[in-house]
Amino acid sequence: MADIRFTLNGKATAYAGSAVDRLLDVLRDEYRCTSVKCGCKEGECGACSVLIDGVLYNSCCVAMGAVEGASVVTMEGFRETKRFAALEKAFGEVSAVQCGFCIPGMVLAAEALLSKNPHPTEDEIREGLSGNLCRCTGYNAIVNAVNNAAKEGNGLW
Amino acid sequence: MEKISQSVVKKDHAPKVSGRSVYVADYPSEGVLCGKLLRAKVARAKVLRVEVPELPEGYFYVDAKDVPGDNNVNIVLDDTPVFCRETVEYIGEPIAMLCGPDPKVVERLRDACKVEYEELTPVLDLRAATEQFFDYNFGHGDVDKAFAEADKVYDEEFETGYQEQAYLETQGMMAEPEEGGRMFVHGSSQCAYYIHGAVARVLGCGPSGVHVLQDVTGGGFGGKEAFPSILGCQVAVAARKCGKSVRCVFDRREDMEYTSKRHPSLCRYRVAVKDGRVTAMDIDVIFNAGAYSTLSAVVLQRGIIAAPGIYNVPNVRVHGCARKTNTSPCGAYRGFGAPQTFFAVEMIMDHIARDLGVDSLAFKEAHLVKQGDTTSTCGKYHFPVPIPVMIDEIDKACDYRAKRAAYAKPQTGRFRRGIGMSMYFHGAGFTGSGERDLIKAVAKLRKYKDGTVEVLASNGEIGQGVRTTFPKIVAHELNIPLDKVYYSHPDTARVPDSGPTVASRSLMVVGELLRRAAIKLREQWVDGEEQEVEERFKEPDFMIPFYIDKFEGDAYPTYAWAVNAIELEIDTHTGLAKVLGAYGSFDVGTPIDYNVVLGQMEGGFLQGIGYASIEKMDYDAKGRIRNNSFSDYLIPTAKDVPNLKCMLHVEKYPDGPYGAKGAGELPLVGAPGAYLEAMEQALGGVTLNHAPFTAEDTLAVITKEGI
Amino acid sequence: MVNGYVAASLQEALELRAAHNVVPYAGGTDLMVENRPGVAYLFLNKVPELKRITVDDESIRIGAAVTFTEAIASPDVPQLMKEAVSRIAAPAIRNAGTFGGNLGNGSAKADSVLIEFVADAKLRLVSLRGERTVDVDKFYLGRKKLDLGNDELIAEILLPKQGLEQYYYEKVGGRNALAISRVSFAGVFAAEDGKITNVAAAFGAVADTVLRFKDIEAMLLGKTLDEAKALKADYLRAYAERMVLTRGRVSAEYRKNVCMNLLGDFLTKFGV
Repeated sequence: MADIRFTLNGKATAYAGSAVDRLLDVLRDEYRCTSVKCGCKEGECGACSVLIDGVLYNSCCVAMGAVEGASVVTMEGFRETKRFAALEKAFGEVSAVQCGFCIPGMVLAAEALLSKNPHPTEDEIREGLSGNLCRCTGYNAIVNAVNNAAKEGNGLW
Repeated sequence: MEKISQSVVKKDHAPKVSGRSVYVADYPSEGVLCGKLLRAKVARAKVLRVEVPELPEGYFYVDAKDVPGDNNVNIVLDDTPVFCRETVEYIGEPIAMLCGPDPKVVERLRDACKVEYEELTPVLDLRAATEQFFDYNFGHGDVDKAFAEADKVYDEEFETGYQEQAYLETQGMMAEPEEGGRMFVHGSSQCAYYIHGAVARVLGCGPSGVHVLQDVTGGGFGGKEAFPSILGCQVAVAARKCGKSVRCVFDRREDMEYTSKRHPSLCRYRVAVKDGRVTAMDIDVIFNAGAYSTLSAVVLQRGIIAAPGIYNVPNVRVHGCARKTNTSPCGAYRGFGAPQTFFAVEMIMDHIARDLGVDSLAFKEAHLVKQGDTTSTCGKYHFPVPIPVMIDEIDKACDYRAKRAAYAKPQTGRFRRGIGMSMYFHGAGFTGSGERDLIKAVAKLRKYKDGTVEVLASNGEIGQGVRTTFPKIVAHELNIPLDKVYYSHPDTARVPDSGPTVASRSLMVVGELLRRAAIKLREQWVDGEEQEVEERFKEPDFMIPFYIDKFEGDAYPTYAWAVNAIELEIDTHTGLAKVLGAYGSFDVGTPIDYNVVLGQMEGGFLQGIGYASIEKMDYDAKGRIRNNSFSDYLIPTAKDVPNLKCMLHVEKYPDGPYGAKGAGELPLVGAPGAYLEAMEQALGGVTLNHAPFTAEDTLAVITKEGI
Repeated sequence: MVNGYVAASLQEALELRAAHNVVPYAGGTDLMVENRPGVAYLFLNKVPELKRITVDDESIRIGAAVTFTEAIASPDVPQLMKEAVSRIAAPAIRNAGTFGGNLGNGSAKADSVLIEFVADAKLRLVSLRGERTVDVDKFYLGRKKLDLGNDELIAEILLPKQGLEQYYYEKVGGRNALAISRVSFAGVFAAEDGKITNVAAAFGAVADTVLRFKDIEAMLLGKTLDEAKALKADYLRAYAERMVLTRGRVSAEYRKNVCMNLLGDFLTKFGV
């Protein structure tokens, strides 16, 4: 039987397991992409967010068969980009990271938002991050960080 | 802003934001067995037998018979078993752990275990529960006389529900047998030395037979104060039996149903009023402890000490008890018993004010404590009480008084508004003489030949920033760059016991030890040499000694103060409430890092608003928690309270580092009082007595009152 | 591929559906939560015929594998539908979730299905045997029971091109995002020459399926606004009697109160 072929963080790969396996589990267990966190396995927290063909998904709610031919990006890949550097700096300057568990997903949600809408309003930022739960920060610092990244990273998105 | 308060990029920022931090679930699985708990399916029963399916090679069944030492987890008492004894006492109580290399096989084996029960009648109704774990009484003045002489007596009952910590990373611990027999336990946790003590006793190996490391921890909020001791013991026993590393990471539903949460409460307040002033409070506090006592004693102590609020009440009588029910044991959660009683006292003050025809704020202001006044436990407020100024700050930030007056007028239409205010303290550090008698914190600094300095302490980074703020204090005092000072996650094999990461104590108590240690190191500093200095806790000399048997003396050396206002709008068609603004003024002394402290205030305040409004958890007639997932137990998203404004008021504490006081818990404590006051106003001046107050509750009032 | 088939065309999808015991997979947001053991999925997320939004003389046709995010971005999708699907969960779920999946899951809480009920949408169902078009309310046979053969797929949702301009929509969830509907309500109103020509009202998340009572609606059809006002109390009473709510985490009493409040407000908004 043919493997499931897809691109992970820019590298072509093939998965020989079941098409019904969760992308989340496969990323963590097979590919050791442990930046992808498991918070609920029900699509309710966003900790497992990844980009598939540039679009934000909860990887717990994606079956492996659905990524056939797609390009999957996790923080392991995104952290090598200039856009990440801008977000990293912005998050750092306002201390938007507390326990850190939601953060890789949160940063990818910010990337997904800014890549569609480079100059979002505060409401649009909150909407863009609304599927990513954070229990530590009350969200203000994260929203400010994304806003600052959008302003200072002018031209990156 | 003082130099020490200026924000820096946090030390753990880079690894966390890039996803490089290794949480306990992130270690490779090779050579590690997966552990899954076999749990009780009934709330109370004798366990007659467990039929275990045939186990493939490399798979293990671990239960109480495998515990080498004592099958009791040491918390405050030691009634919590590692694995159940003859009976199970709540749905979900661990009976055994199944271990093996393939998680799916382990799960299948676990589910194939047949447990034979002889069911017993569980106690589920808190009001009807008779078994008490703890029962305390204290007070002062002549309460009976005050009631006899009162113009009017108010008598109300207040109820609060569970609150789940909902840290984004579920509980998880791992145990690795080391060569030579020592057991290495690590995982998501707040208190490495608590786990250390508990595991040593359960393994019967003495303190040198175990060491405990705190892994990167995805949030705690109290939920990882005591619980990791239990899970740590379970994986340690399993690893001992299997002779291999064992890791157990909970799934979300398991975590929500079976790990400790905030105690539900029932508080009855009888209040005597004479000449428009409160003359006495007679308070009865009942906490639902769940099936084992865990931390209920100390949670209850903090709760009842706060019961009269921040008001001068000449005659006080408080009775508090923690009752056993056959439900998941409750435990620590940010605020630690105080949110329940502060809610009740804020509401009764509000209700009395309304009955007397005065505004709640004016009534509260007239009763405020001030410096030099006596505390509920006959201690003293040694330092200034900045509440009046903070009220003005809030008033300025949201036009509180004008809105309060405007919304008090009759409202019409689909949407109605209200605004409410609460004011409260959080006693910084352990209650009573705990720091002096029990914790006896020790902290060290080790300077290496290259001039870098390592902080050696046992307080865990759980998002609150100690990996940054501890080094900031040390670097500041040594006058060296911050990157020359570092603080790793504590491993009990190499750090002294500076106490647990609880009670908003780390920065105030341990931070001060580190400041003093840094001064000592500075005075002894020799370039190119390895040096170590140590500091031990000393109780401030102004303290009035506290006696827990009488609840007398200074329960806390100082207090962090807060004023909260919440403005909301309700939809009379749906009962939904929109928080238009949440305003908090918080005094935690000098912020050791402005952004870090602001982040604590904002995060804690939002948790408090959740507790007041949408975070509802309950159990059914069989004792099973119904709200066990993120779709059934709702916590606020980024869209729920966009207008959340926190400000810092600084009233320095001379015995904290640079004037810092305890911070972490404060911002959660008062939200329910402010929220419910606002809700009462939006609903046209009704009297409300429970939190959370959900859309369903709101619509029920609207329907009943014909609003 | 183990336990899965990826279809590149509708024809291929129908052949696979007929030949194998497969569960159609479009967005995965419900299926992966259920995580049924022992299943094989038929992946429809790359079937071009199911990914289109087209408009013909009578209908706006939304392919079953169109995601909510795609619908929100489309100039052709009616505002009422956009408003409803933009309130679903959060961006990541809307990026994955599809119209076909929302129907196929069979839940009465499905936010797009509510709009299909109030809009008298039709569903085009296809199989190798041919195709048929059913009214959305006939497609639901009961709780989680659908009129869908083992060899059939939902191909398109057909919304009327006109008549959805005047609407009333409310979703009542537990919070402002990531909220499952506790009650959802949609009303559509139309009048011509001073007489009511449409007064459709649909209720989601209250019973085994979305509820709509056309016989009660008929009380007001053909009536002037004044005549309708006189009938309003009877009309509301008829709904109150007919609506039997299933039990849930949030009480039936609460949800019914909300339904009645919103229904009344719907009429008020349009002058009744």
